[in-house]
Amino acid sequence: MFEPKVKIERSLYDSLKRAASAAGYSSVDEFIIHILEKTVAEIETAQSEEEVRKRLQGLGYVE
Amino acid sequence: MIAIVSGLPRSGTSLMMQMLQAGGHPILCDDQRAADEHNPRGYLEYDKVRRLRSDNTWLAEADGKAVKVVSLLLYHLPAGFEYRILFVRRDLDEVMRSQERMLATRGTADGAEMRVHFERHLQSVKEWIGRQPTMHIHEVNYTDLLDQAETSARAVAAFLGRELDIDRMTAAVDRNLYRQRKA
Repeated sequence: MFEPKVKIERSLYDSLKRAASAAGYSSVDEFIIHILEKTVAEIETAQSEEEVRKRLQGLGYVE
Repeated sequence: MIAIVSGLPRSGTSLMMQMLQAGGHPILCDDQRAADEHNPRGYLEYDKVRRLRSDNTWLAEADGKAVKVVSLLLYHLPAGFEYRILFVRRDLDEVMRSQERMLATRGTADGAEMRVHFERHLQSVKEWIGRQPTMHIHEVNYTDLLDQAETSARAVAAFLGRELDIDRMTAAVDRNLYRQRKA
């Protein structure tokens, strides 16, 4: 299985580790994956709503 | 309380408005958008809704009435009113086919992409409504409006807490206008 790895600075990792612990995550990995999934979903939703806006504008439903 | 009829364009929101009007529910609409070949019985829209993002000062006019607000504009409904949202859902392939017939050119995204965008948008707006304390949602399935009009009409009246003429609401459903049904 392909498992990409991302390098981050040690200081950021330490901050993430503390935040993960404070938020009750079982591991830093779990915390980071959750943040990334949430962020990607937000960006994708924003992109989608822009495309929907363009479509609705074309149909005359929004200005 | 404001009754909002919402959903994607071509999902059956005009039919829902026609049913409410037939049932005796006051509606807020104007004659800016006339009936056409895509919607022979009229859109029952209020032109100011299209500018809801920049101007919501007219919304008090809708108090006690039903008004059509396309799903993307729900985010711009201001606090200060109670909203009961009739959210009409229809098979996305049917919605997209119907929309594409209306568009002179296709949208910016291709069909498969646009479907994903619609799905994400519908999920997002539904979750957002769920977080709004003054918004209540009742999902209406377009196919049910056609196949089980009386049952659907009763459910709508109960959700709105209104005495509506169920027989007239049911009679407002014209199955002959359902032309984009999924093959």
